[in-house]
Amino acid sequence: MEPETEPEIAGRSGGFWATLAAVESRALLYPEIEPYRTGMLPVSALHSIYYELSGNPEGKPVVFLHGGPGGGTEPRQRCFFDPARYHIVLFDQRGCGRSVPHASLVDNTTWDLVADIERLREHLGIHRWQVFGGSWGSTLALAYAQTHTQRVTEMVMRGIFTFAQDEMDWFYGVGTRVLFPDAWAAFEGAIPPDERGDLIGAYHRRLTGDDRRAREAAARAWSTWECSVATLRQDPELVAHCGDVAFTMAFARIECHYFVNGGFLARDTQLLDGVPRLHGIPAVIVHGRYDTICPLRNAWRLHRAWPQAELVIAEAAGHSANEPAIAAALRRATDRFSER
Amino acid sequence: MTGRRGFYPEIEPYDRGMLRVSELHTIYYEQSGNPDGKPVVFVHGGPGGGTDPKQRRFFDPAAYRIVLFDQRGCGKSTPHASLVDNTTWHLVADMEALRGHLAIDRWQVFGGSWGSTLGLAYAQRHPEHTSELVLRGIFLLRKAELDWFYQGGASALFPDAWETYLAPIPADERGDLMQAYHRRLTSDDRATQLAAAQAWSVWEASTSFLYPSGDFIRHAGEDHFATAFARIECHYFVNRGFLEVEDQLLRDVDRIRDIPGVIVQGRYDVVCPMISAWDLHRAWPQARLEIIPDAGHSGYEPGIVHALVEATDSFRRRAA
Repeated sequence: MEPETEPEIAGRSGGFWATLAAVESRALLYPEIEPYRTGMLPVSALHSIYYELSGNPEGKPVVFLHGGPGGGTEPRQRCFFDPARYHIVLFDQRGCGRSVPHASLVDNTTWDLVADIERLREHLGIHRWQVFGGSWGSTLALAYAQTHTQRVTEMVMRGIFTFAQDEMDWFYGVGTRVLFPDAWAAFEGAIPPDERGDLIGAYHRRLTGDDRRAREAAARAWSTWECSVATLRQDPELVAHCGDVAFTMAFARIECHYFVNGGFLARDTQLLDGVPRLHGIPAVIVHGRYDTICPLRNAWRLHRAWPQAELVIAEAAGHSANEPAIAAALRRATDRFSER
Repeated sequence: MTGRRGFYPEIEPYDRGMLRVSELHTIYYEQSGNPDGKPVVFVHGGPGGGTDPKQRRFFDPAAYRIVLFDQRGCGKSTPHASLVDNTTWHLVADMEALRGHLAIDRWQVFGGSWGSTLGLAYAQRHPEHTSELVLRGIFLLRKAELDWFYQGGASALFPDAWETYLAPIPADERGDLMQAYHRRLTSDDRATQLAAAQAWSVWEASTSFLYPSGDFIRHAGEDHFATAFARIECHYFVNRGFLEVEDQLLRDVDRIRDIPGVIVQGRYDVVCPMISAWDLHRAWPQARLEIIPDAGHSGYEPGIVHALVEATDSFRRRAA
């Protein structure tokens, strides 16, 4: 049994402006690299998923679990890992990124994705791997590791989301809107007043409806809300990306589909209740103090349930993995584990 | 970021005094800057926070006649930490008494946090004596705002500091934390009162800056400060600010509509979250709303100092 750890406070020294001026998250990470192999893996009669391998084929295996659900992977996500030491696996979850069919909600559940991770692991001939994921990626990491504990060497998680009801309520009701009433006005404004009693339901009807224009408008508003509040200082590039139709249709439709279905969990405490199964797996939890999408409470509860997992609180950081204090803490974690 | 304005240099008051405002209460006031300048009154936070010399420095001392005063029961006002005859409307009347005492006809009203609450309450009652309003970290004293900070809301972002705030209250009393604190803060047992005062004040100090300030948190936990701050705050909050109706300060915006106003709000103000500044802005679009993207609640946050100094500078040549 590992010793219990006290939370570490990262990024407390130095002013915010000094931090921002001196470091770009990219400079904190490893250089951009190209995959040495990419492929499509059929995982059901309907779905095929895109995967790619980069770094050192003989290195320590790590699988990157992206957010959303529906966010897809990006090349810069390879850069969290030392390419000389890690065998880096990225894949796009069902229906998003380069996986097909695009934006499909059929046979698309948490447990389908958990099974896909296992199929991919076997397909690649990997025995055990490190699991790395933020936001929804942390949800999926917990679900996967609690189902296939023996396949997981370490866990690195960021912006914790366990799909508890109060975590959903925070972002789509009582929490974030109090700090971002301006962005909320746009999110709420996309739905007529008489349907605002159940905003997620109203979005779901539009995102799954037959009217393409209504679907696209809803998808844009849905994604813009999230991207407007993902970074401590609003990132215009990120907000523009979230307005892009190809990205946003998968992101909004799949997210909303998972949310109306409660993440396909048996109960909303399932992933916290399953924490005892993870004891013995070395783990680091990185969370931004000003993460207004997944508030720090989510990570605090996980840390309380699992005190052996090290909690790093990144001060003056929001939700995004690209926040400098978060990127730096994630790299420190993967560097440390690369020796194991 | 370069180009951000900082405080004006330190100055000493040219006049200090104690003004008797009731049989019981006497309030401390001071004047600094230019005796012939444009009058401004600084309305401090809490309630119960008292003034600090640094607060003189939001104003150009060559242009402004700067009035600071300690509200009833706090700072250098006496009796210390008293809750007797201590309501919003007593404080509004004290401001009028002070204005009369100093023979000022109209003054700019400047206040943050509870200072914005009292600033609005004063200006809505005495618009003819208010030349401009400069408000920061808007607090309208509505139930949802109190619940956000003292019952659950800010707790989601500061679960670590929240544990310290919860600690003095047994589990079976946590359904209404403010009442539980009120019982202790008005207790006859000095040790109980002090423990509650420290936890109450430290919670607010821990959440007031984007980067936590160790000095500020230590100061908030000092006996003398914490006792007045926590007792007076909690007294006002359990009494809902002594407002006639919950949204009184929004309802009465018409009375101040034509007064030039600036609202400065930190985006990451978790003590007085932006929804209140937003609601005030929507009720009073004539006032300029300035959102500081990298600031919390405190008036000392760099981006907020900049915006407040710019605001007072922009008004300094307006005729009183």
